[in-house]
Amino acid sequence: MLYFAGIDIGSLCTKSLILNEDDVIIGTSIKRSGAAYRGAGEEALNAALKNANLKSENLNYIVSTGYGRARIPIADEQVTEITCHARGSSFIFPEARAVIDIGGQDSKVIEINNKGRVLKFVMNDKCAAGTGRFLEVMAGSLDMDLEQMSELAKQSKKEVEISSMCTVFAESEVISLFAGGTEKAEIASGIYRAIARRVTGLASHIVSGKKVTMTGGVAKSNGIVWALSKKLETELLVADDPQIIGALGAALIAKAKFNNL
Amino acid sequence: MSEYKLNRLETTKLIGNIVDKHWASLRHAKENGEKVAWCSGPVFAFPYAMDMKCHFMAGYSSYAGGRGAAQQLLEIAEEDGELIDSCSYHKLHMGMAAAMRKNIPVRKDVILPLPDLLISGRLCPEMSHYAEGLYRKMGVRVTGVDVPPPHQKSEIKYFEKYVERQIRESLIPALEDVCGKPFNYDRLTEILITLKETAILRNECWEYLKLKPSPWTLWDYGVSIAPVFYLMGSPEAVPYYNKLKAELADRAAKKIAALEPEKSRVYWDGWLPWAFLGKFSRIMCKLGMVPLVGRYPWEFFPHPETIDTEGDPVVSFVKQVYSNGGQAKDNMPSLNLPVIQNWIEDYNIDGLIMFSSKSCRMWNLGHNDFIAAIERQNGIPGVVIEGDMVDTRMNSFAQIETRLEALAEMIEARKG
Amino acid sequence: MKQRALNQCMEISGDPYGYLKKWKQNNNKKIISCFAMNIPEEIIHAAGLLPVIAWRSNESVSIGHSRVASFNCGLTRSFIDDVLKEKLNFLDGVVINRMCLQAQGIPFILEQNTKWANIIYMSLPALYDSDCIHDFFKSELDRLIIAMEKCSGNKITTEKIINSIEIYNHNRKLLSDIYEIRRNNIGIISAREILSIVHSSMIMPKEENNKLLLEVIEELNLKVAEGNPKSGIPVVIYGSLCQTPHPELLDLIENIGMVVVDDDIFIGSRYFVNSLNVSDNPIESMANRYFSHIPPCPTKGDYKSNWSAYISDIMNKNKAKAVITLMIKYCPPHMCAYPDDQITFEKKGIPEIMLEVEHEIISLEQVRTRLQSFVEIIGGI
Repeated sequence: MLYFAGIDIGSLCTKSLILNEDDVIIGTSIKRSGAAYRGAGEEALNAALKNANLKSENLNYIVSTGYGRARIPIADEQVTEITCHARGSSFIFPEARAVIDIGGQDSKVIEINNKGRVLKFVMNDKCAAGTGRFLEVMAGSLDMDLEQMSELAKQSKKEVEISSMCTVFAESEVISLFAGGTEKAEIASGIYRAIARRVTGLASHIVSGKKVTMTGGVAKSNGIVWALSKKLETELLVADDPQIIGALGAALIAKAKFNNL
Repeated sequence: MSEYKLNRLETTKLIGNIVDKHWASLRHAKENGEKVAWCSGPVFAFPYAMDMKCHFMAGYSSYAGGRGAAQQLLEIAEEDGELIDSCSYHKLHMGMAAAMRKNIPVRKDVILPLPDLLISGRLCPEMSHYAEGLYRKMGVRVTGVDVPPPHQKSEIKYFEKYVERQIRESLIPALEDVCGKPFNYDRLTEILITLKETAILRNECWEYLKLKPSPWTLWDYGVSIAPVFYLMGSPEAVPYYNKLKAELADRAAKKIAALEPEKSRVYWDGWLPWAFLGKFSRIMCKLGMVPLVGRYPWEFFPHPETIDTEGDPVVSFVKQVYSNGGQAKDNMPSLNLPVIQNWIEDYNIDGLIMFSSKSCRMWNLGHNDFIAAIERQNGIPGVVIEGDMVDTRMNSFAQIETRLEALAEMIEARKG
Repeated sequence: MKQRALNQCMEISGDPYGYLKKWKQNNNKKIISCFAMNIPEEIIHAAGLLPVIAWRSNESVSIGHSRVASFNCGLTRSFIDDVLKEKLNFLDGVVINRMCLQAQGIPFILEQNTKWANIIYMSLPALYDSDCIHDFFKSELDRLIIAMEKCSGNKITTEKIINSIEIYNHNRKLLSDIYEIRRNNIGIISAREILSIVHSSMIMPKEENNKLLLEVIEELNLKVAEGNPKSGIPVVIYGSLCQTPHPELLDLIENIGMVVVDDDIFIGSRYFVNSLNVSDNPIESMANRYFSHIPPCPTKGDYKSNWSAYISDIMNKNKAKAVITLMIKYCPPHMCAYPDDQITFEKKGIPEIMLEVEHEIISLEQVRTRLQSFVEIIGGI
């Protein structure tokens, strides 16, 4: 049996996934990245191998992806997360033709074909607005965690605008609103709508009329999925574990690359 | 910040209907068999002279902003590929075009019929881009008039002759071709006569802004610009300003202030924040801060007594843009700074607000130099605030409020 | 391989301040900065002055932001920054063309913050169809002539202008030849190197640059003979009006599996693509050049031109596979033109990626990710 691994080193978390030659996922792991990417990559891979009851010698090909991808000596090849998310998404949702990936520090929208190949993509990697970091900062300003904020947003009865594009200034706005007596539920809902607006500006010409899947850690948040679905007027397809899609794609590409050798 | 009382004018409540009527007439023009022009820059008097219905680029933008439709149009434009940092006025038009092409539902009152002629008045060198975009996307017919602003006095007459020649050799023939009839110079003269009368009344109203406390504000004037600009020559123009003048005279006699208490009087530079007049007004009212004068709203025919209604109307009109002070001449700080320094005294100004639009650099460059020069000469402080005329995402009100509060504190400290 | 001349070009491009200060010490001539595109340098040259194209500063903007907001293009901000830091005191004046609102606003800042005697503003017209526009352009040239005569104390005759045109045409021919060598030997010279060569022409007196370019051509021919050029997916870069792209960005493009085979940027082919007809009426020749739609220029109000078609032609000429758009942040002329170009590229099936470029060095890692993804798309992963 042949085995392939994908390692996705993100700004906040490193994910690893082991796939066998029959395309069965046999091990996964998610670890905090920290500053030492190389260590995080190896640690995540070892955890996934343990999960799969394998050793590193069993692996036939490893592909790394994510921002830290170039610093993983154990990887045989590095491929960008755009390509990996496209491939991974298509594996889970063959009907998907667009991928929205909101990560810790960037967001991307990718148009894919029926084979999971990237046709085009757009990215926001210039500022934190519309990213996981934005959500964290906002949750912090409301003194709650992301899950609490997600649940609270659904209770909102009124629409409140968070208009700033800048995360830091949006935080000022949130504090001002709260100090002015606006309910936290309304603010929370406004925050999700702000992200949805930002992402829609990036995404809508790519996703229009297509089946769309959402990947990345932020997709675990019900609040953002709900807000984006509403803004895009489409039901978003979200995997059970959207955070692992990049690593899945990397493992699939590892298999493809190995078969071409 | 404290309690305040804002005494709204009765007359300005009328402007909404007047402006709505104009845009409605534009929207229905094609059904009524009328020709339509779109225009940037100050040359829309010429299509009016041919009885065309005419849009005006900044006028449409202020209308869309004031009606709360701007954000949707901007988002449609960006979804259609426009870049977020482009000029908001440009994007509003691209958004409108995209909504038309793709049948995207938007408010009907911000969708206009495509023009028979798009007049690209290039007062701002970037104004031509919306014409280029519409030409490429919608195939509209374009004619251009270059209207360069002078940097030195010696350029005024030189540019005047240039613009006059373009109007005669390019714009008028295009209008004649589109309308199938000779250019109506008499009608242009009639428009100038009405404009003269309206603007003289307007100038008399300006005098009331010099009173302390003032019976009206820059925002009141801002919403009243249309009759002296893109509604010039319309039958409502003179009656509107007569009413306004009467109301101001009444207020002056009764010593009714626009804002109670009036704690400070400020100059506003740059565009007016059309989509946020209410928001800015509330912030400034709480500070007792009244805006009274600004470079942009004062560029519309500030010397109407010089409008020559006997001679060649083309020459007369172009002189209003250049020699006799107007859109081209007065927006250049090199020439305008001494005028503004006089306004500080005439209008009893305590401070400066320099509104720096993030999507338009027409007024921005040199804002701090402006403040420095005026502070040296007139001894008053100023602040720069960053935002946009119509795009809510570019206005961070928490920051804006902080800066305006700081200005109020600086003004108070200097008075004390 | 010997590349003395190429190294000299890169040195001058890398430190125009040092080069020009030294040049001025050894020559008794005034230096006039041109901000930035479409200014008829030949007239300035004919006055016995040295015209240089305004360049993007070699450091991050600091005090410049006290005069010009951060949401202005890098060239404007860094030019003002350099002025305030007194790094440009060796200049004797500046000619600014009304290309955009930033150019329109700069003279006021200079008037308020410098004692420069020669701040000349040109309002070169939009490409609207009428005789009066042509006449106005020529009258702007007449005004430039008067201003340059006053600045230099020299009379500018028709013969002098014709002589300057010939020197400039020769320079354009040599630059064009260098591009042709690259076209026929893809990868023989890097994008960074070739743009340094063009940039050196924008800084040096043309007479001296012509001699240097002849040496560059010799060196390149030797390199061709040696063989071993760099390979990669052939791409064309376009955009980047007025200002130099970061050399690190060009290196990144070429180290990630692509090779730049041609361009349509100002510090590139735009600078030399239009030679002037040498005739008895040089003013008329300059008008013909200005009013030609080659290259299409969004600062000229040129609504009829089709920029994407022009890029498509360049691609065909070079058998390029893709386009990289270098979008200078806060360049409204390009920002407003780009959406229609993008649609055309898509309709024609031309792979294209847009990179936003700022004066301050952008995060290269993020750009690397985008470019690598782009290569993966074109290369078909």
